[in-house]
Amino acid sequence: MRDLYKRLGVEPSADDASIGAAIDACDNSALKADAAAVLRVGARREAYDGLHGMLSELGRLRARLGLTHGAHWRGDVANDFSLTPDLAQSRHDQLVAKLDAAVAGQARLARWRRLMPWLIIAGFSLIAAGGFAAGRWLG
Amino acid sequence: MVSARFSPFELLLLKSRNQTDTAALLLLAWVMVSKGNVLPEDKHYLETLASGFRHGHALDPLIEIAGGQDMSAIQLAAEVLQKDWWNEQSFAFLRQAIGLATSNGQLAASNNHILRFLADLLGVAPAAFNQLFQEVAGRPLASPEDPSRADYWQAREHARQQQSQREREREREREREREREQQSRQRHEQDERQRREREEHEYQRHWRRQGAGADDRGKRNRDDRPPPGDRSLRALHVLGLDARATRGDIKKAYRRLAQTHHPDRFYSHGERRMATASQRFQRIKNAYEYLMQDARFV
Repeated sequence: MRDLYKRLGVEPSADDASIGAAIDACDNSALKADAAAVLRVGARREAYDGLHGMLSELGRLRARLGLTHGAHWRGDVANDFSLTPDLAQSRHDQLVAKLDAAVAGQARLARWRRLMPWLIIAGFSLIAAGGFAAGRWLG
Repeated sequence: MVSARFSPFELLLLKSRNQTDTAALLLLAWVMVSKGNVLPEDKHYLETLASGFRHGHALDPLIEIAGGQDMSAIQLAAEVLQKDWWNEQSFAFLRQAIGLATSNGQLAASNNHILRFLADLLGVAPAAFNQLFQEVAGRPLASPEDPSRADYWQAREHARQQQSQREREREREREREREREQQSRQRHEQDERQRREREEHEYQRHWRRQGAGADDRGKRNRDDRPPPGDRSLRALHVLGLDARATRGDIKKAYRRLAQTHHPDRFYSHGERRMATASQRFQRIKNAYEYLMQDARFV
């Protein structure tokens, strides 16, 4: 399947008027005929958009998983919907990083918790010392 | 506090008994929701599949995530699968995905692309995948349709028109058939009456001549078309049809039943379920073959 929007140079979310203008301005007669037949009819455009969205998502997925040259991904689909491979955005690595951060946070929390009794005791003794000093001063 | 930063699927994955199985279930749920209209049987089938996975939680959150087209969750699931799976498991998984995608007899265009994506993800070559598809769905994997072409839509509308025309013609044919039957019945009755009168006449003459009564008139052969035999009725019953079914009905019913009861769909349920499924399948197939060679339905 070809990406008609890309080939016409319009956004997939464009309204009928701008798509009509793009079709009129198109100088490839075969593309012009196909785009007019598909995008100018409401029901057809809706069905096309459904598949277009799915293929865009698949293209993005393949780019991120390193599958842009898979054996099952060829022809016009592969030409129009492939993106440049983008292996930096591994969700698994992100999850592992998040987990590490969470574990580190927990460890920090645990350290504070271990210190908590001593802090409480220190606080109480400070208050007691303060009270004692105030009593001496008043009395 | 921590959970706010994890997405719902990440949380499910972390709580799961087996991360790979949870990821596989999410991808199966994705295949299911991409069918367009999800039948209750599909959901039931997915639930039975889930009992074979070590997921350990309810299925609905997964279906919800897949239904929301949450691509980051799907990417994560795909990554987990890509990391952890080897050949045998991936074949079983692809079988299930194909079964789920083709359970209503056709393969949606988006699912065609999704299945190809899954095959690439698990490193299954086109030849092997086509063979797998043929085994599960009973027909070769079609190359994806191209709705960006004008002739795709023309062919589609043409097919729809033809179908409605064919239906109209069939209806007309049926009416004609009914008329013809009625006429032949009338003619038959008329003949019968005439013959009876003639016989009566002859009998009386004979009786008068002989003087004695010979009351054996011989049995008359009344009906030239026997009703469907007991065995064909039973076979029709196996296919969920009654005596009025036509050859087309039988073929359609067989195709539908064969798809729902195919043993490959029960591949993951264990040996016993698969054995009962193949028994059922065999019974359906026997009934169909018996009816196909029955002269009444030619």
